[in-house]
Amino acid sequence: MALDVQTRQADNGVTVVAPTGRLDVAGAPALKDAISEAVKNGPQRVVIDMEGVSFVDSTGLGSVIAVLKQLRSSQGELRLAAPNQQVRVVLELTTLDRVFPYYATVEEALTGF
Amino acid sequence: MRSNREPFEFRATFSELDEGLDILHRSVEGLRKATGRGPDDMPLILFETALGEIGGNVLTHGRPPGTERPVDYALHFEGGVVEASLTDSGAPVHEHLGREMPTHESEAGRGLAMARSLLDELGYERDGGVNRWRLVKRL
Repeated sequence: MALDVQTRQADNGVTVVAPTGRLDVAGAPALKDAISEAVKNGPQRVVIDMEGVSFVDSTGLGSVIAVLKQLRSSQGELRLAAPNQQVRVVLELTTLDRVFPYYATVEEALTGF
Repeated sequence: MRSNREPFEFRATFSELDEGLDILHRSVEGLRKATGRGPDDMPLILFETALGEIGGNVLTHGRPPGTERPVDYALHFEGGVVEASLTDSGAPVHEHLGREMPTHESEAGRGLAMARSLLDELGYERDGGVNRWRLVKRL
């Protein structure tokens, strides 16, 4: 199951990236490519809408870390929204929940961003 | 309603990454239905997460170029315990088994540490020219 990634611009200029499918070793490159393309000439603030992500593995998580490092190197920032239970388990197990602030909804993630 | 009484068995062979990952997740979905568990059943979520890590490693590192032998996979559930086995013909991986969770900045190297902590038992043996993985968890 290939990862499908949609991007849009929110009213406050933040890029919202919405992957659908499994963010795993097969799907991770699609997310990295989509975000790199989306922020090439635009704002470096990104919300990843995780609602459509059914499953994440360590490689998928690695792609999110890569994106975070890329954004922070140009004073940008990243927030995660609406992770399901499996994604939250992986974030907590790896203690990456201390690195990625995550929000219950995209609207909450966009507030004050 | 949950049922731990009925044994559940699934077997497959596969070679491609997408195909293999689809099959692994489909097998867990089959187990979920067979045992009457919901999508938020935590022990099965933890098992599926570990299976995704080991399966992803096997499918990316366990099939060097030119390998014709597919990955053998079996899932067995009985008496409340699920056990998966994966066999691949990649290079031995002994030196990676004890790997600890890397720092937050690292983009790779978490898979085995995650699988170890999610399972009751993670077994590995080099048997002739193949790697045999065994994942065990009480659900």
